[in-house]
Amino acid sequence: MFRYFRLKKDVQPAQTLPGTLSGELLARDAISPIAIRQINTLPDNTKRRIYRGLLPPAVLVRFQIDPLTWESKNGISAMELYAEPGSGVAKVAIQDPQDREDELLTLEIQDNAFDGIDLNLIVLGDPQAVRFAIDRDERGKPTMFGTLGRNFKEEQKAMEAGLAPGQVRKGLGGSQVVLDQLESFLAALGQRAYFLEPLTYVSAWVFEKRGFAYVRGHKLMENIQHEFQPGGALFQALDGSTAFRSPAHWSTVRGRAWAIHDGILEAIDARWDKLRMVKQIGRHAGVETFPDAVY
Amino acid sequence: MEGMAVKHQITRSAELQSLAGFRELIDQACDQEPAFDDQTRYDLKLAVDEACSNIILHGYAAMDPGSIIVSIEIGQDAARVTITDFGHPFEPVEIEPPTREAGPEAILDDLGLFFIHESADLIDYQSSPAGNCLYLVKYLPKADHENPFQ
Repeated sequence: MFRYFRLKKDVQPAQTLPGTLSGELLARDAISPIAIRQINTLPDNTKRRIYRGLLPPAVLVRFQIDPLTWESKNGISAMELYAEPGSGVAKVAIQDPQDREDELLTLEIQDNAFDGIDLNLIVLGDPQAVRFAIDRDERGKPTMFGTLGRNFKEEQKAMEAGLAPGQVRKGLGGSQVVLDQLESFLAALGQRAYFLEPLTYVSAWVFEKRGFAYVRGHKLMENIQHEFQPGGALFQALDGSTAFRSPAHWSTVRGRAWAIHDGILEAIDARWDKLRMVKQIGRHAGVETFPDAVY
Repeated sequence: MEGMAVKHQITRSAELQSLAGFRELIDQACDQEPAFDDQTRYDLKLAVDEACSNIILHGYAAMDPGSIIVSIEIGQDAARVTITDFGHPFEPVEIEPPTREAGPEAILDDLGLFFIHESADLIDYQSSPAGNCLYLVKYLPKADHENPFQ
């Protein structure tokens, strides 16, 4: 029993299983987490067996990809796995057999500094949908989904077509089933949570619905909700000065997201950065910073 | 379903304005168990209030505040509260009680932690990369109990 608390000076990482994975090591302990870096040291076929569990078979079958061989119906390899020895990153990407330009689904996870897992990237794009070149500026330079540079014309067209910031195509749907599968995969590795940094306001809103809480940025999300109400600073900053700052944007998730992407948070002396979210395995946090939201 | 604990949970941002919501959650949960008298309810609210204040003022210090998740399970013999946050972790320590020489601010800080200890029957704390969890148990008046942490 203790009587008082004080702030910890040094944060200890989780006790990851030490060394290279082996059957003997795994048999010793069913609780300690396994790192991506440890899996990546394994032989290729072993890695494929393990990372096969990252993606829901139903999504693969939907695109006529064999869940075991990762081949399309005409025998072409449709899925790529990046999991290099010495690296703490694992990425799986499903290519559209008809269109090699974009991936149907990309999922990238990485060991973080505290022996936890970060979800770096999750993209589900509808291959049948119209593509908007928001990922390249007008001179052809990559924009990193609009974070490093912008292609205003393409962004406006994407917005008018109903897309959110950062999307090159309409979403594929199914993020819930992909995240559920990821959670099962991480539970099998002995991980208790995973983390991500939401790219946009839409992403944060979606991840709230999927059960995430905030490591950083919960208060910012509540401030955004408050200031987009009629009379608030963000509401007033929706002055129509750009297409992304339409006065109507206060009332929808997507409208707010485009205004935020356009830098409207300057009106409350804030920036869309440093937000970090966490999903505890098996627990829905129930965060709802935009109650009764309209997408 | 007799004997099954009912769980209530809310998640709010780590700011002082959220404290009222946490107290309200405790009230709503206790309303379902007539055996919780006013004193027990007061003790629980005090412990949760002090613990969350501590997280808000110290755990999330110097960072854009994240979430605090408060959940309470009302069982047949006790209320079990779990407070989860993702800020800087604390560590439990044995220290001397505050003295007058320490000055009013230090006394007030330590008193908050003292209140948590005095208001709850059992306390446990665990910190991991998945979050920091403070567990508080408050028994119903006049029930026989075993320490679940032993």
